[in-house]
Amino acid sequence: MPTQYTYAHPVATVSAALLLSLAVGCTKPAGQGGASAARAPSTDASAKSQSTAASKLGDLSAFRGIAADVSALVDKGDLPAAKVRAKDLEVAWDSAEAGLKPRAADNWHVLDKAIDKALAALRASAPNQADAKAAMGTLLRTFDALEGKG
Amino acid sequence: MNPLPAPRTSPWLNKVPEVALSFWVIKIMSTTVGETGADFLAVNAGWGQSLTRAVMGTLLLLALFTQLRTRRYTPWIYWLTVVLVSVVGTQITDLLTDGLGVSLYISTTAFAATLAAIFAVWHRVEHTLSIHDIITPRRELFYWSAILCTFALGTAAGDLATEALGLGFAWGAVAFGALIGATYLAWRLGGSPVLTFWIGYILTRPFGAALGDLLTQAKAYGGFGMGALWTSALFLAVIVVLVGVAQLGLNTGRPAPAAD
Repeated sequence: MPTQYTYAHPVATVSAALLLSLAVGCTKPAGQGGASAARAPSTDASAKSQSTAASKLGDLSAFRGIAADVSALVDKGDLPAAKVRAKDLEVAWDSAEAGLKPRAADNWHVLDKAIDKALAALRASAPNQADAKAAMGTLLRTFDALEGKG
Repeated sequence: MNPLPAPRTSPWLNKVPEVALSFWVIKIMSTTVGETGADFLAVNAGWGQSLTRAVMGTLLLLALFTQLRTRRYTPWIYWLTVVLVSVVGTQITDLLTDGLGVSLYISTTAFAATLAAIFAVWHRVEHTLSIHDIITPRRELFYWSAILCTFALGTAAGDLATEALGLGFAWGAVAFGALIGATYLAWRLGGSPVLTFWIGYILTRPFGAALGDLLTQAKAYGGFGMGALWTSALFLAVIVVLVGVAQLGLNTGRPAPAAD
């Protein structure tokens, strides 16, 4: 089979082209800088002077904001609306996985589990307010703990 | 438009494509399309993981059944099968990791061992691991088993790099791209064609995932911010064109084999 070796040259071409396109992408590293600006201990006054302490995962305020919406709807007793809004959280969280997870995989998993539990409570075949409230409470506390407000 | 010209002695013609530039481009892009497609169904369409797994598993069996029944390489069936193998291979690893809590160290090792076992049996039975002479049903089953395993292994190894090393998609694409380059170099310097092919096949899984993430992810995370929908649409368009060209090439009478 003389054609046996045809794949090698293309591999190089592809890798070269893709590496080249990556050089462009890498001029802006994936948010590593912000992550190292670690939060100071709570006794440190400088931590409080910042409006939002960044977690190791970076800025989570967009996700926390949706979770707060869900929580408010649960408190009002509107579980169907809470379930609908919770999907926005699921979609946003899921689509940001590749960006967030490498920053702090452990923290990401903690939050991911808490979001899963909240979704499960809201999507139960007969959801009840007490379970949903407990799950949302845990989720919001998890956000706060990761952002150094716990 | 006539049927095949000269009949060959073998009852089957080679069932798999020649490995050329378009092979690797389609292979890498199908990883992204498969993953974002399954993700879209599970999350955005609200099917959930279990239903998505069941549907994709069924589709894979149907595609594989069709692929095994064809008597010659048919590009759209072959590549549809690859996309579905890519999806299911990813789902197997995700199920182990997220559903059953299996450590990525364990799953990576286990998939590597399984792949080695498939190759050992394949070589023992066929006395070759050639990916150019897939001309019997048994060889084809070995071929697809190995491919499924490389996708599961590539997913686990890629996730392990993310979790253990904190390797983001940008550096991930560079790292896996460099490894692919090294594999190419090893082949050029006389490394085994079959071995380097399979190493390339494994590495292009995490490389394709990282490349997809680079285009998909928001600018805030260092991506291009194209979003999953546009990235998938772009990749799918490229795949359709390349597979379409291959399909047309076959239908209008097979041209001379690709020159090197």
